[in-house]
Amino acid sequence: MTLLRFSSRRTIAAVAAFAFSAGGAAAADITLNVASMNDPFGPAMAKIAGDIEAKTGVALKVDIMGYGELMTKTSADFAGDTGGYDIVTMDNVLTGQYATSDQVIDLKPLIDRDAAELALDDIYPAVMNSLGGYEGKQVAFPFEGYANVLVYRTDLFAAAGLEPPATMQALQAAAIKVTDRDKGQYGWVANGQKGPAVAQDWMQYNAQLGGSILDAEGKPAINSEANVKSLAVYKEFFDKAAPPGAVDYDWGGREESFRQGVAATMQTWSVGAAAYGNPEQSKVVGKFAVMLAPPGEGVPPKYGVGGWGLSINKDIAPERQEAAWKVIKYLTSAEGQKALAEVGAGGFTRKSVLADPDLVAKFPFLPVIAASFEKGDGDYRPRIPEYPEIQDILGTAVNAVLAGNADPKAALDDAQARALELF
Amino acid sequence: MTIDTAAVAARPPAPGLLARLFPPDEPLEARRRLFLILLTLPACLYVAVFAVYPAVRGLGYAFFRYNLLKPQRNAFVGLANFEKLWTDPSSHAAIVNTLTFMASAVTAEFVVGFALALLLWRDRGFNRVVLALLLVPVTVTPLATGLMFRGLLTPDYGPIGYFARTLGISAERGFLGTPETALATIVVMDVWQWTPLVALILLAGLKAIPASVLEAAAVDGATALQRFVTIVVPMMVPTMLLALLLRLIDASMVFDTIYVTTNGGPNDATNVLMIRAVKEGLEFFNIGTAAAISAFMLALVGVLATAFFLLIDRYERTVAP
Repeated sequence: MTLLRFSSRRTIAAVAAFAFSAGGAAAADITLNVASMNDPFGPAMAKIAGDIEAKTGVALKVDIMGYGELMTKTSADFAGDTGGYDIVTMDNVLTGQYATSDQVIDLKPLIDRDAAELALDDIYPAVMNSLGGYEGKQVAFPFEGYANVLVYRTDLFAAAGLEPPATMQALQAAAIKVTDRDKGQYGWVANGQKGPAVAQDWMQYNAQLGGSILDAEGKPAINSEANVKSLAVYKEFFDKAAPPGAVDYDWGGREESFRQGVAATMQTWSVGAAAYGNPEQSKVVGKFAVMLAPPGEGVPPKYGVGGWGLSINKDIAPERQEAAWKVIKYLTSAEGQKALAEVGAGGFTRKSVLADPDLVAKFPFLPVIAASFEKGDGDYRPRIPEYPEIQDILGTAVNAVLAGNADPKAALDDAQARALELF
Repeated sequence: MTIDTAAVAARPPAPGLLARLFPPDEPLEARRRLFLILLTLPACLYVAVFAVYPAVRGLGYAFFRYNLLKPQRNAFVGLANFEKLWTDPSSHAAIVNTLTFMASAVTAEFVVGFALALLLWRDRGFNRVVLALLLVPVTVTPLATGLMFRGLLTPDYGPIGYFARTLGISAERGFLGTPETALATIVVMDVWQWTPLVALILLAGLKAIPASVLEAAAVDGATALQRFVTIVVPMMVPTMLLALLLRLIDASMVFDTIYVTTNGGPNDATNVLMIRAVKEGLEFFNIGTAAAISAFMLALVGVLATAFFLLIDRYERTVAP
């Protein structure tokens, strides 16, 4: 009698526990950790987190960081296989590194599976490739695309009788003409600081002038004739048209120089364009225009593409990967992109969003971005695994020319030798 | 079964845990030593696990080509990383700049700091207020210091930089943008920030000098300079060496200020070992190269610390009555 009574009670408890557990599992929510760069899309993503949860059933914890911290934390997470972050915002220049180090999952199978709902034709091919495509893999889905554009002061150009520059040579001539050192007015500004800042800016100008960091076989060709010439042009810009402090500017200094009216022209990522019209940040409100970045004379126009994709950590559980993919699909959809744009994300990937009447009214420069993406080039900064080291090598070489008056060819010859050691 | 109660009663009680650890018949000193060893064991284990082991392992990485993101290339390379430290132009410049910075900044901080300490020696209300104000820079992070000076010194619109450029005091590109003046400018920033700390340390040493000794010397007719040379300086030597050592160690690891102002430029003019180490380790994830740089810096600091402690010890042995 006693044994029977005990067994019955245990059975009842076990059944109850199972029922409770099954019910709990069915109702459980997933919270994903996102490692986000502190570009405008980071705060924007955090702002619409509630909507994201409502649309996807997934809560997001967005960890917004500076570039260095983002690289350090995510790389440590990947290397240690700790799975601390589920979704990572990936700088497009790191595509090759992500693709060859087995850090994130290849999204291609998921893209193929859900192709019907992704409206892939709506995404610019240059953006799709640049922000995550690498040798047949898609290690990130395009999330926030940036176009390299030229911003210039319409009032100063009009006063000088200048037309918007259609070529790099015209830009240089205009910049020199507009420069008046006695008045503290300079015609142009770019990054000159040793390191990533000067390297990235020079690579952009280099591409526009017909240069390339790699040869057709994907090996360094840093000291090519075209590159040497473009570096000489870049130095001439600095010597004749840039603010004196530009040799030490990074992105902050460069942007501030234009916003404060010190520099009349600047090539920049489109993500910052809205700030120039903000009276709280800018002294050039109503005095500037955004246009396509001018190519060198005789050089077929290609426009720099940069920005960020969304990657899924390979170390997280399959159900978390599926939830992450669900979030990515929403954030990169036309609906999600528009929601992000409306709260100031600043980046774009889709044709329909860039043509949206409401957004165009709010951001009149969107057609320029659209035109840039049509002929986009995301490889002027080579997205190979060795990119960080090459960037550093170039940063040293170009800065040596600007600040140390080194000979362009000698500097690039040295850079070439150092780059070859990486392969 | 029967129990021999008498035998049980006669059996001595089993020794307790403490008695087994500290046998009563052992000498007191031995028991004390063992007790102290047991007390420090947790701390030693902590240090061994979280300090010694990582340091040794980190040193081990210095002999490998080891990249976190490119594991397929990892291999033992012996002393190649250390060789590269000397042969690579950028790394070589970093060594030279680091040593130059250490010597320049610490010397300036010591001289100015000692002067400040002498000025503030008298214990007066005004001096205490001045000392409190002087310590403000020490409370500012080096990162904030760098950002502040960058704003001040930019030749385009900085309050100092603009006028310096306009008046021809600085080059057109400003103090930080000109290779010839960039490192010196970083030194000035470091001196501004850390001299008060040196002054504070030296002031503590000055206040420890017995007033009676100085008064007696004055009564005996010694001049201020004689008292300074024959009493103050000799009695201050240990404190001086300590202040110098602390600053040298800190100066060898200068990073934040340079990172936010020049990032090692212009043209490697302010490239220092810590900039190289952070770049190699946290940007490129070349752990082997970064470990070699760290090992070199550790050796440098170790040599300095050893030399200074030997100097202090020798001085105290020589001067002590």
